Amino acid sequence: MAGTYFDLDEAVSCDVIAETVGARRSLVVRLARAGLLETVASDRDEPLLPRSAVVQLRRMQRLRRDLGVNFAGAAIILDLVERIEQLRKAVMSDE
Amino acid sequence: MAVKTRDYYEVLGVGRSATGDEIKTAYRKLARKFHPDLNPGDKAAEERFKELQEAYDVLSDAEKRKLYDQYGENWRAVQQGGGPPPPGWEGARARGGPRAGGAQAAGFDFSDYDFGSFGAAGGADIFEELFSRAGRGRARRTNRGADVEAELELSLEEAHRGGRRTLQMQVAEVCPTCQGTGVVKDNQTCQTCDGTGQVVKPKTLEVNIPAGVRDGSTVRLAGQGGAGVNGAQAGDLYLHIRLRPHPVFTVRGDDTEVELPVASWEAVLGARVEVPTIEGRAEVTIPAGAQSGQRLRLRGQGLNKRKGGRGDEYVRLKIVVPKEPSAEERRLFEELRSVSRFNPRAGR
Repeated sequence: MAGTYFDLDEAVSCDVIAETVGARRSLVVRLARAGLLETVASDRDEPLLPRSAVVQLRRMQRLRRDLGVNFAGAAIILDLVERIEQLRKAVMSDE
Repeated sequence: MAVKTRDYYEVLGVGRSATGDEIKTAYRKLARKFHPDLNPGDKAAEERFKELQEAYDVLSDAEKRKLYDQYGENWRAVQQGGGPPPPGWEGARARGGPRAGGAQAAGFDFSDYDFGSFGAAGGADIFEELFSRAGRGRARRTNRGADVEAELELSLEEAHRGGRRTLQMQVAEVCPTCQGTGVVKDNQTCQTCDGTGQVVKPKTLEVNIPAGVRDGSTVRLAGQGGAGVNGAQAGDLYLHIRLRPHPVFTVRGDDTEVELPVASWEAVLGARVEVPTIEGRAEVTIPAGAQSGQRLRLRGQGLNKRKGGRGDEYVRLKIVVPKEPSAEERRLFEELRSVSRFNPRAGR
């Protein structure tokens, strides 16, 4: 069975992200414009996001659902978790 | 053998008389500690979080809590059956909800709840809104199967070449006996699934790893997540790729880097030497006068890229000298010292 490969850097529209995660398009646009989801370009004033935004938005949704943090808080948390993970890897590779 | 569900109050660390606010506070406190997104790769935390979610799901709902207090772990069978259990129900085995089954599945089970109207959230009690939406979402989850995330660890060579990998997974499927309802005739708890509506079955998947995947890449296997109920679409399986550290190469994007020890005379005079590459070996020319730390590029000898082509390999030179020179080597070095006007610290 072949897996569908996700090029996580591929730029996709807010519609694609919204449809994939089951969110409203306006929410995705709002999060992108607020800088809470990374944007890679814009198409006629509409932000284009890397496909990796699907994973990011799903994680933000889970944090919002489970911990009650808002989207801005969830974005900061995920950023910090990523930095911790990078530091952990750097420490491991130095050992 | 019967598996006893942990007491939900014990899971949340609250007393049986705890108020709704106390339960909520306890849940949030523990959820912050064990949430899978805050503990990536930590299976124990993931299991604990699922347990927490299940306990909170029941104790935060007045109706479910009442049934739980009255009937203990068999409350779900009572709820689904619409009445009190028949005599002898105490002996029936019952486990938690669908999450309990999912807990044994490989990877974190994340639900695709309806977050569509979250944009309008804000105001009174956002938590209430969140959890009430989550409740609606759970109802939806009984249709489409849950998406499942798992990690797949690959060697650098596997990521470079791609290929097929066979995965053994434990995946929750709809119980064939009760069709996911958790109860059978006469409101009896389904013995096949212990009332969860799901059974965990081993599943073997053969996955095509495309050449050029990287640490953090995601491979989606559509329809290979949790089973859907009543013929509904199955969820997807997301495989997050993790690369094992390589003993020889370090990776920077599409490029690899390798450290190459060279003798001092090779550095001074230049040389042609063999270096390891991701696909074997290649020859590299060390230019005369090479310095320690200098990087030489082997174009196109790095990692395969997803969209074709290859990255480069960088060879970092490290000048080494003999630790125990022979008498002749020592004599030649001494002669070099006496004739050389080279001062490595000139200009400092």
